[in-house]
Amino acid sequence: MAQDESRAGTGREAREAAAARATIAVRPEEFQHGRDIAREKVFELNGVEVLYSGVSAVKDISMDIHRNDVTALIGPSGCGKSTLLRCLNRMNDLIPGAEVNGELLYHGEDLYGPAVDPVQVRKLIGMVFQKPNPFPKSIYDNVAFGPRVLGRKDDLDATVEKALRGAALWDEVKDRLKSNAFGLSGGQQQRLCIARCIAVQPDTILMDEPCSALDPISTGKIEDLMIELKSEFSIVIVTHNMQQAARVSDRTAFLMVELDADEQNRWGRLVEYDETEKIFTNPADRRTEDYVSGKVG
Amino acid sequence: MVEQTRVYYQEELEKLEASALGGLDLVSAALGRTLEAVEHQDVELAQLVVADDDRIDGRYLEVHQALITLLATQSPVATDLRLISAMLHVLKNVERMGDQCVNVCKLIPLSGNEPPSDEEMVKLILTMGTQTRALIGQAKRAFADRDVELAHDLVRQDDVVDDLNRDCFRLALEIGDDADRREWAMTMLLAARAIERTADNAVDIGEQVAFVVTGLFREFEDASHPTP
Repeated sequence: MAQDESRAGTGREAREAAAARATIAVRPEEFQHGRDIAREKVFELNGVEVLYSGVSAVKDISMDIHRNDVTALIGPSGCGKSTLLRCLNRMNDLIPGAEVNGELLYHGEDLYGPAVDPVQVRKLIGMVFQKPNPFPKSIYDNVAFGPRVLGRKDDLDATVEKALRGAALWDEVKDRLKSNAFGLSGGQQQRLCIARCIAVQPDTILMDEPCSALDPISTGKIEDLMIELKSEFSIVIVTHNMQQAARVSDRTAFLMVELDADEQNRWGRLVEYDETEKIFTNPADRRTEDYVSGKVG
Repeated sequence: MVEQTRVYYQEELEKLEASALGGLDLVSAALGRTLEAVEHQDVELAQLVVADDDRIDGRYLEVHQALITLLATQSPVATDLRLISAMLHVLKNVERMGDQCVNVCKLIPLSGNEPPSDEEMVKLILTMGTQTRALIGQAKRAFADRDVELAHDLVRQDDVVDDLNRDCFRLALEIGDDADRREWAMTMLLAARAIERTADNAVDIGEQVAFVVTGLFREFEDASHPTP
């Protein structure tokens, strides 16, 4: 603040107090956006392009996704954020005509290399979808499904309990593990899907609008869960809810739709990728600013 | 395909900015009357300024509440968020500046009907006040135009007020041995001090201009770490 003329005292006490303050005060120039420490990269995308039947859905995506971060992908409908998410665990392989170009490294290795088994990839990189999709089985069997398929049948009870605890669902279902999963509420079903995902001990969880079908209380629980889970997993989330991205993510990527000259073709492009705090307080790109502040639809 | 949305919200934000900056006009008018009251030892005018401070406080409360509602209901981010944060600071400074005018006006009856005034000291205080009104106007323009350079220039203008304040102090020291004159000089020093702080409030508003534009908060002048 501007100089206060009345505080010109130069007593020893004042000097000592000033010296003490100086040692603990954080000077404004020490504030800076971003964490400088080197972060371990889970995914490295270099010029990634995804095509469906030869038509680009997203183009020229280059970004690093870091370990133990929640990374949010935001953008208007049709900007390719779900497409981008799905190529991170090769879910697009299941769509006929889908093609991924460019370099996509997972822990430094080519995710689309010829020797890579997509099933193994999806074991390490789990996915939670927009609509809760439990199997028509008991709560226990839903969670035990993955470990059973993978032949991990030892101590299954402990695995199921750990996964349900990890998904903050154990206390609500411990007395009815054999009940049908369809008897759970929507929010509980989504947390069950998260438990089912973490039961196979993945390294990364991809979430495609996991709260869009849930009420605010259930949404709050899933958001708290994401923050808890990131100490163990890396999370990438696609969301339409910008406040959700602001609340839970460490880094945010903003994609938007681009059109060619004659407006016949459209594809998604990465506009800005930065610390979430930066994106929501002082974004570098005007288009990000307009989108996050809801000025353009 | 790009269409403007949230038109009502944008209009509301613009309206609130105009209202917050309008608070600076109220303060400038209050300071003008305060100076007139000092010049003519006008106790009635001084009382009017004191009573009128309710208008400034009312503006502060009204715009502050509307900004809180906007924060709660519209989830502003990026430049809008910085603008709202800056407006809350501007309002606080407006309210403080209004109170400083009240402080000066409350001193006027204390010096009596025919005070043993020193013409030179009164002149200094009036010059300080005029310069401070110019600072308030400049702070308003800088904010409205998002002009960081103009905002930064407030520091230079504030130095003039600080120098005049020091001159007042020197004059008070040399006012002589007469007890009444000494008492009057001490009272006037308090008035000078209140005006000096008002100018500082204008500089603080300038700092908020830089924050809105750049996203980084920097004190233009740091009293605890002055530049040599």
